[in-house]
Amino acid sequence: MTSMWRRFLALLMVFGLLTAACGSDSDSSSSSSSESASSSSSSSSAEEEEPAEEFKIGLVTDTGKVDDKAFNQSAWEGATSGAAQIEGATTDYIETEESKDYANNIQLFLDDGASVIITVGFGLGEATIEAAKANPDVLFIGVDQFQGEAIPNLAGLVFEEAKSGFLAGALAGMLTKSNIVGAVLGTDLVPPVVFFKEGWENGARYTNPDVQTISTYHPGGLDVAFGDPEWGATTARQALDQGADIIFGAGGATGNGALIEVATEDGALCVGVDWDQWGTVPEAHPCLVTSAMKDIVKGVSDLLVAAKAGTLTGGNFLGDVDIAPYHDFESMVTDEMRATIEEVRAGLADGSINPMPE
Amino acid sequence: MGQVVKLQQKRLLYMGLIAVLVLIWFFYRANGPQTTAVLAGTVRAATLLALGAMCGMIGERSGVVNIGIEGQFLLSAFAAFTIASMTGSLFMGTIAGVGMGLLMGWVLAGMAVGLKVDQIIAGTVLNISALGLTSFFYDRSRSLGMGKYTNIDLGPLADLPLVGTVLFSRPPLTYLTMALLVVVHIALFRSVWGMRTRAIGEHPGAADTVGIDVIKLRYFNVTIAGGLAGLGGAYLALEAVGTFSRAMSGGRGFLALAVMIFGRRTPFGAYAAALFFGFTTALQNQFQLNSTFDIPPQFVGMLPFVVTIVVVALSGLIGSMRDPAALGQTYEKG
Repeated sequence: MTSMWRRFLALLMVFGLLTAACGSDSDSSSSSSSESASSSSSSSSAEEEEPAEEFKIGLVTDTGKVDDKAFNQSAWEGATSGAAQIEGATTDYIETEESKDYANNIQLFLDDGASVIITVGFGLGEATIEAAKANPDVLFIGVDQFQGEAIPNLAGLVFEEAKSGFLAGALAGMLTKSNIVGAVLGTDLVPPVVFFKEGWENGARYTNPDVQTISTYHPGGLDVAFGDPEWGATTARQALDQGADIIFGAGGATGNGALIEVATEDGALCVGVDWDQWGTVPEAHPCLVTSAMKDIVKGVSDLLVAAKAGTLTGGNFLGDVDIAPYHDFESMVTDEMRATIEEVRAGLADGSINPMPE
Repeated sequence: MGQVVKLQQKRLLYMGLIAVLVLIWFFYRANGPQTTAVLAGTVRAATLLALGAMCGMIGERSGVVNIGIEGQFLLSAFAAFTIASMTGSLFMGTIAGVGMGLLMGWVLAGMAVGLKVDQIIAGTVLNISALGLTSFFYDRSRSLGMGKYTNIDLGPLADLPLVGTVLFSRPPLTYLTMALLVVVHIALFRSVWGMRTRAIGEHPGAADTVGIDVIKLRYFNVTIAGGLAGLGGAYLALEAVGTFSRAMSGGRGFLALAVMIFGRRTPFGAYAAALFFGFTTALQNQFQLNSTFDIPPQFVGMLPFVVTIVVVALSGLIGSMRDPAALGQTYEKG
């Protein structure tokens, strides 16, 4: 009996640890590059440029997961769609479990001889700058990382989240019946989240001066703020209970929890974030009227193509922002509302509307 | 002397309870909807912690430390979500969650009681395995087509102001948890099983001499306790959130242990502690929603932990709280 037990448990533990090791770095390369190719590149990358056929793309996520249905996932889709346009390109990712591992994870790709390294998220900014300075031959793309001073081999892909939030908020201001709109957000430690929130609130006030905006940030640190759907759901309910009838969920899995909670409330609406979450959070279909998007997929993919062509330069690149289609709520958004949204969109584009006045 | 202390403690408890009720009434008069929202959030956040604390409590009362509750939550949530999405039935999902919890409890017992592995290490194995297994097998295209558990109104009770929303308009697993608190309390303190359980946690040698099979009872208890954590996992995936995402338990299994210690390893004490933790979360949300104070959200989020440390340290000093004597020790029949 005991020996059987021992064998069973030993097997279980090995299996568990094995999956623990694989789970955090599952290999979903877009093409199956051969072993020989990867070894040849790592030997040559030390002093010279990559050989022309070999183009390795490495992506390091923030502490959110690569399948978070929002921010990190869209960057990964951008990497794979960019790689699809480049001959001989391979992609791989590493998920960051804790913020202290940023530099180590970047180093793993450097050691592997990557040509381009994409780091996803504001939190990786400093680690990326350091790595870029130390490795002038490797190109870096930093999503959501604003570059104060331009480094020739580091491109920061940034977005005007406030504009995207403003558009969504403007729609919410027109759609709300209770004149209370809520927002359930990741953490205020990450500036893009703050921009989304400020834009959202200002947008709602722009179309509806009587509106009351109630917003909450997750109280935890960077390690948990984007992976806590339970808190997101509970907080969304708290906002619904005090009269909010349209809620903006912005913060990876945390925000998804909020969206799904709103879906259980009759007549309440929700707004997704980062990309069109209609496709990624089907549970939210009963309430998801639109999403405040920043086109990370296109941004990353364009920068990768530029990197391959050799035209990538340092500094900041501004990606596109917009709101997603209304899907099931097409009929709820009246022509009048659409006209207002068009006005706002034009105003934001020509600068006559400032989404974040001080 | 012990009697007097006990009486004084009881009096203090009742006075505290009355003070809390008066405060609630006061705030309800000041702002009904917000008070209701905060208290509803409190009860909601407390449910998972209460289930985890009951799991830990039954284990520790029997002398087995369980720090694998986090892993039990996570893997059970995964099982509940996967089965519910495959069968289209939340009930089947719940059963699967409880089943997974029982299985993990049995594995923990196998390691900690059967093989006499260090209990802390056994719990850690559960946590790491759960994180690995769920990350590996998670299929992000899966979803709950039928939605999650929704509120059930308890007849006219649900129409009462304040308590109607807070207590009598809840989803099913929350009601079940409240019922289980009573069941576990009676079982632990009023039944033969409870007496034996406490005996093997305090003095397994003595229990053995009067004919209690210590090993068997520990196996049984740790497995059953796992079922409670499994229900917690099902609650997390099918009632609280309505989907699965990786590492979604977010440290609540460890929080449940703090709640259990804070609540002196009694179901009602643990529930009170869980409500307190839930309340601080709901309160800091409300501070932000009202934008009354401009304090960082992280600061209020930290408060329950500070209070726990203070309470545990203080009660340790005074000596009113102590662990079961045989906690963490393996039992060797001799």
